[in-house]
Amino acid sequence: MTEVRISHLTKSFGAGPVVDALSLTIGHGEFVSLLGPSGCGKTTTLRMIAGFEDADSGVIAFDGSDVSRVPAEKRDIGMVFQNYALFPHMTVAQNLAFGLEMRKIPAAEIRTRIARVLDMVQLGTMTERYPSQLSGGQQQRVALARAIVIEPRILLLDEPLANLDAKLREEMRVFIRDIQRRVGITTVYVTHDQAEALSMSDRVVVMFGGRIAQTGAPADIYDRPATRQVAGFVGQVNVIEGVVETASGEGGHVRLPFGTIEAPRIGAATPGARVALALRPEAVSLVPPAGAGWQGRVVSRHYGGNLVDYRVAMADGTVIHAQTFPTTQFEPGAEVGVHADAARLWPLGD
Amino acid sequence: MATGKRRSATLLLIAPAALVLLVFLVIPYVNIVIMSFRPPGEGAPYGVGFTLANYRKFFSDSFYMLQVLNTLWIGFVVTLSCLLIGFPVAWQLARGESRLRPLYYSIVLAPLLVGIVIRSYGWTVLLGNNGVINRTLMGWGVTDGPLPLMYNGLGICIALTHVLLPFMVLPIMSAIQGIDPSLEAAARSLGASRAVAFRRVLLPLARPGIQTGSILVFVLAISAYVTPALIGGLRVKTMAVTVVDALIDTFQWPFGSALALVLSVVGATCVIVFARLTRMRWKVA
Ligand SMILES: Nc1ncnc2c1ncn2[C@@H]1O[C@H](COP(=O)(O)OP(=O)(O)OP(=O)(O)O)[C@@H](O)[C@H]1O
Ligand SMILES: [Mg+2]
Repeated sequence: MTEVRISHLTKSFGAGPVVDALSLTIGHGEFVSLLGPSGCGKTTTLRMIAGFEDADSGVIAFDGSDVSRVPAEKRDIGMVFQNYALFPHMTVAQNLAFGLEMRKIPAAEIRTRIARVLDMVQLGTMTERYPSQLSGGQQQRVALARAIVIEPRILLLDEPLANLDAKLREEMRVFIRDIQRRVGITTVYVTHDQAEALSMSDRVVVMFGGRIAQTGAPADIYDRPATRQVAGFVGQVNVIEGVVETASGEGGHVRLPFGTIEAPRIGAATPGARVALALRPEAVSLVPPAGAGWQGRVVSRHYGGNLVDYRVAMADGTVIHAQTFPTTQFEPGAEVGVHADAARLWPLGD
Repeated sequence: MATGKRRSATLLLIAPAALVLLVFLVIPYVNIVIMSFRPPGEGAPYGVGFTLANYRKFFSDSFYMLQVLNTLWIGFVVTLSCLLIGFPVAWQLARGESRLRPLYYSIVLAPLLVGIVIRSYGWTVLLGNNGVINRTLMGWGVTDGPLPLMYNGLGICIALTHVLLPFMVLPIMSAIQGIDPSLEAAARSLGASRAVAFRRVLLPLARPGIQTGSILVFVLAISAYVTPALIGGLRVKTMAVTVVDALIDTFQWPFGSALALVLSVVGATCVIVFARLTRMRWKVA
């Protein structure tokens, strides 16, 4: 097992830094996801860890030793590529044997290791097939097997599930995480799919424009986003703005354009200050109209099976996004009472 | 029936190509085969009756055998030098990141845009005893007399390599363009040095292009006429030159036909052997 320590890593391709003074430590056996929109520098970061790209400045260290001068082939890394990058002229067995041959492992041991790993990815019968004779999901598993059969110090995965259909993608999430736990390997997983990052990772690193916006456990990122940008990128969110009327302890009474609310946390805001509060759609429930509380009118409804998605226009025109279980449903145009779970309000920084 | 209809549509579609092949390839070839078994004629392309004399003449005179070997040797040298020079060029064109790539591409294609006679003539200007290269070398005092660059196999090989280079570069380039760049990264992450990744992954995947390019260049080199005729002059002759001599200068049409056929058969055999030896053992669906 290996600890990866990245400090002040910077890289630019001509105009402006693509990775900007990025610092991050990934612990022994930890599963860390780099999550961010397209072009935010995730792949570039991964390629620098792998040794395919030289950093302009900054240090990458494995278990305390700087690897900046170590070429890719000497870093002992297993990498899974978005398009799998299986060698088309080699069978599954030959693909898996490649890395072991490079390590001068005796043929007999190569065979047993390949058999063991192929068993793990449930492809034991496919050894003699060429990649072109496999389905997308099978190719994906061969790529994973090829990366772990060499028992690398670190496993790097670059959007490995992006080319699979939704159902398979969910299966593979569980599958990859399960194997990672069993092998106990330090893993960096790149994705722009927040559901993937949240469901698989020990820790999620949210990146924008080459910088880390927030690092934390999946629940931290989702329930306690640091900024509007993080809140908006990781799942859906209502950002409601108001003015603090009274503060007490951590919380306070906040006046909104369409009502008031008792927020348990308002950050550093003092009475009179403006605050922005994040409210997840599933923390909003709709009830039949009552005299007290927030009132609104359903603008649209989208049925999603397990959840129903509503847009509700409040008195001042603000549109609130609500997700509720489909047990009671409201027609578009209906007047409704809007109830927000105050415990789920979270103050956002800029 | 539907399939019957489709079949007649297919026939219609290939008919023009088939007709062209028949008129311009099959009929002349059959004609040449027949002619090669004719005795020479007086005041006519060939005489009456059939004979094996033309082939006997070929196989009994080691002069012609040597010429075949010499032609094949030139073909081999030209193919090899086109491959050695062309592969890095193709690589650069396919993978290079330079903004000048379109320029390089047009430089590679340039020889194809100028007529072959002019190109070969250009080489005589460069390679001749009184040519640019020799005058420069002597002017600098590097050599006392002119280097023998023309009227020999070396000159033919140099000129043919230049003339035929695009036929090597283009297929290899398109093969390399078809190779996913992340395959090299994958090989390296698995512990292969750049050299090993090249040998084990990139080279095998570029092989179809190398094979196509080599066959094209080899076939074009052994059948080339203009370049060997201009550069080799009267001293060094390839088979193609001798065939034309026989047909045009000495009017030995039947013997010329026999020579041409031997050259075709030998060339085709080389290509088949080469294709077999470098056959791909895997398939891409
Ligand atoms: N070799 C390169 N030359 C020039 N610019 C590059 C190169 N590689 C990446 N970039 C630029 O760097 C930025 C970050 O690229 P990177 O591939 O790291 O993004 P990413 O976060 O992986 O995005 P995606 O989710 O789309 O894969 C992009 O703007 C990209 O255009
Ligand atoms: Mg990427």
